[in-house]
Amino acid sequence: MADQNKTSAKVEFGNELLNPSELFEARTRSHKIPVRGQKDFIPTGSDQQKDRLQQSLDEHWNLVSEERVERLGNLVKAVWIPSDMIVELQSPAGKFWQTMGFSAHGKQCLHPEEALYLMECGNLQLFYQDLPLSIQEGYERFLYSKTMSVQHYQVFGHLKRLGYVVNRFDPSSVPSQYERQLNLPQSQDRSGRLPKRKRSHSPTSRHTGTQEGPTSKRMEEEKDCNREEEDKNPDSLPDLSAPDIDEIQTASHVDPTTSTKGGQGRSWWSKEGSPGPDSELPGHPQSSPRWDFSSIPFPDLGSRSWLPSSLTSPDPCLLPGAVGSVGACDVAPWLQRLNLREVRMSRRECERERDRDRYRRDINQDREVRRCRNWAEYQELQGRRIQRSRRDRPTHLWERPVTPLHDPAQVTSTGELLDKISVIKSTRLLEGASSLKGSEEWRICFNIYQPDTVAEFKKSAPGKPYSRMCVCSFDGPVPDLWTLKLLAFQSGDVPVTYAVVDHGDISFYSFKDFQIPTDTSF
Amino acid sequence: MDSPEQKITKTVSRVDASKESMANSRQVIGINFCGPTPLMWRADDLKSVRELGIIGTLVGSLARQPRQNTRLGRPLELLPEEGRLLADMGRAAVIPDSTNEDPEVNPEQVEQYHAGLENSFQEQGALALEDRKATLMRVMTKKHNGKETSSLTYRHLCETSELSVLALTALCFLLENSGSQEDSDGAVRDRLEALAHGFSFPRPAMAVQLCTARAGLSHCPEVRRFLAADWPIPRDERSETRFRVFRDLRRQGFYLTSAGKFGGDYLVYPGDPLRFHAYFIVVCISMDESMPLCDVLAIARLGSNVKKTVLLCSSGGSQEDDGEEVVYTSLQWSGMV
Repeated sequence: MADQNKTSAKVEFGNELLNPSELFEARTRSHKIPVRGQKDFIPTGSDQQKDRLQQSLDEHWNLVSEERVERLGNLVKAVWIPSDMIVELQSPAGKFWQTMGFSAHGKQCLHPEEALYLMECGNLQLFYQDLPLSIQEGYERFLYSKTMSVQHYQVFGHLKRLGYVVNRFDPSSVPSQYERQLNLPQSQDRSGRLPKRKRSHSPTSRHTGTQEGPTSKRMEEEKDCNREEEDKNPDSLPDLSAPDIDEIQTASHVDPTTSTKGGQGRSWWSKEGSPGPDSELPGHPQSSPRWDFSSIPFPDLGSRSWLPSSLTSPDPCLLPGAVGSVGACDVAPWLQRLNLREVRMSRRECERERDRDRYRRDINQDREVRRCRNWAEYQELQGRRIQRSRRDRPTHLWERPVTPLHDPAQVTSTGELLDKISVIKSTRLLEGASSLKGSEEWRICFNIYQPDTVAEFKKSAPGKPYSRMCVCSFDGPVPDLWTLKLLAFQSGDVPVTYAVVDHGDISFYSFKDFQIPTDTSF
Repeated sequence: MDSPEQKITKTVSRVDASKESMANSRQVIGINFCGPTPLMWRADDLKSVRELGIIGTLVGSLARQPRQNTRLGRPLELLPEEGRLLADMGRAAVIPDSTNEDPEVNPEQVEQYHAGLENSFQEQGALALEDRKATLMRVMTKKHNGKETSSLTYRHLCETSELSVLALTALCFLLENSGSQEDSDGAVRDRLEALAHGFSFPRPAMAVQLCTARAGLSHCPEVRRFLAADWPIPRDERSETRFRVFRDLRRQGFYLTSAGKFGGDYLVYPGDPLRFHAYFIVVCISMDESMPLCDVLAIARLGSNVKKTVLLCSSGGSQEDDGEEVVYTSLQWSGMV
């Protein structure tokens, strides 16, 4: 791009290229920025003001027109690959590799915004078609899409200059609430990390994906070894807002009918059932396989509420090859075998049972009931007994369709009472959020990690981010409650910050969930 | 680089911008769009645009210190109104995006680039040698004059040359133990020759420029006028109001920047923002729009907190460009006394 051999007319006009002597001189340039002085209030037109203005302007143009000059040995060379939207490094990465970049096809790569930032810092020299790219060309080539626009890059650059570690957000890497509850080890499958167990081949197998059949043992502890391509859409997970293990099991109880329909019950493990939307894109970290517990039918034969007559036959591919298809399993002989063993209670348990029984009244021992000669008399007796217990309750209150909220004879706490009489129920931000569908307009763009963790930061196990960033602008709509819920849900337990960009100025806003405390002391 | 006619000294006071455009009509400023955002890249363009009263915002890293946020560098982001005003005045042109052209490697350009690089390397090597010779001469004359070569000189030599500390110390030691005064001149010549022979300027030591703006034909004014495209922003009522207010205030000589953080549309400065505080916060509303009272209170309260007057501005609804009036209403918090 040194146009020194071209005609002088084009070169001289507004040429910002430095000649070799200027380049040489630039080595001893000062690196200090002059401090800005106090501003004035009223323009008086005085000479003093004019001089000071001129001085400030000269300083300003000096700084702004300065070009970046770097020692060739300090620059990392890289190549821009437009088809993958990726920058591939051609010489070894420097210190920035600790927090930026990823490995793909056995090479070190960078995302376009990371490469652009490094170019602006003077650490990277980017080539395209064997010619070096200028920063302007970098902007124009990398920042035209809606996913990574000039505004997104401004936020990215701003945070990186402050020292934060910023990388792209991947929705599938957020653990679901159930996984968090179980405290599953997080499998951060950013490509490039060689697996410790099972597989020994290089990361180049990432795209082909191993066809580990469903016969492999899928223990949850080994999840971080499996680097499958499947990507579970978080929307397909059940609504686990009431995290209760029993609830999940009852859900699966209701499901056995669905499993009779062909392969519907199979979706939780099959690859074809739910292809990840971004599993084709290179550079995306791999996700851990997600289990859709609502569709896994775990038959509970010991349950009293649901007695199946037979179990449906399992899918042939779940069984070892030679067995083939097995018929439905008749459950009756198995049920007969349940609970056959006598329960032997220790002496203490026997005593406990006897104490409990002491207060248990057998209805057949009740004298008044024995006196009843037929069913009608028994019902009369019941009616009288109920009447007696309800003596304090006036009929005009309690026998109408609309009854009082609370019976004073009943024991309850102040908190519960307040709950009963409250008209507006308080709600949390994440209530109902799991059923919201994704939005085109509002998305989380970045994960942010704090600057003081840079020393121990590991790309393969970054840990929980400090915050997640969503970029918007003052010209656009204000995020409504729907957006807030959606993004908070997508982010899991990490708070979401909204970066509002207004022509170069960035402001950060966040919405916090807040509970008004109830006073139950009176 | 600027031709003499273009260097016109200006005062800080309010100057009518339209008069200037007649004088400097030769230089057309280029605006590049990156998506929907208008950006400017060349330093001389930024300078000429500021002389026209357009400030913009710097949004890139500063070349001198890229890892800080207090002072930023190029590119300059323009408000849509600023760009439209420049285009209407005929002072700026939109340079169409040329990134999708040239799908193949251009061997001629690559060759030129490598030739330029080699040329630069040779020149820099020669300059480095000269520089080191000069330093050595300084050291030797000092020694000749009886002064001690201090550690400071050693350090300076090490910083400016590529020899290791050890080699340099050895060289200086040799110099100090050189012979008597008579053959000092001969010694100097010998040392310099030895230096020239043993000198090597390694390739990684070469200084290379990372260009900010794109080099190419588009910086030529004639080509820019030729390539100029229409201002692409869609014009709805709100942006039309904003533009008219902007133009009117600019005509009166004020300097305007964006004011999102202050809850308004523009911040108005009496002079260059580098030296003066803002006077007004401008909120643009259309003539027939009614503003709820709580909004008025909020913006008035905000203005009083930051010690600026709030201006509510509307433009008369006529369609002609000139002749319509902009109506200003200022809000100031006053007591009942």
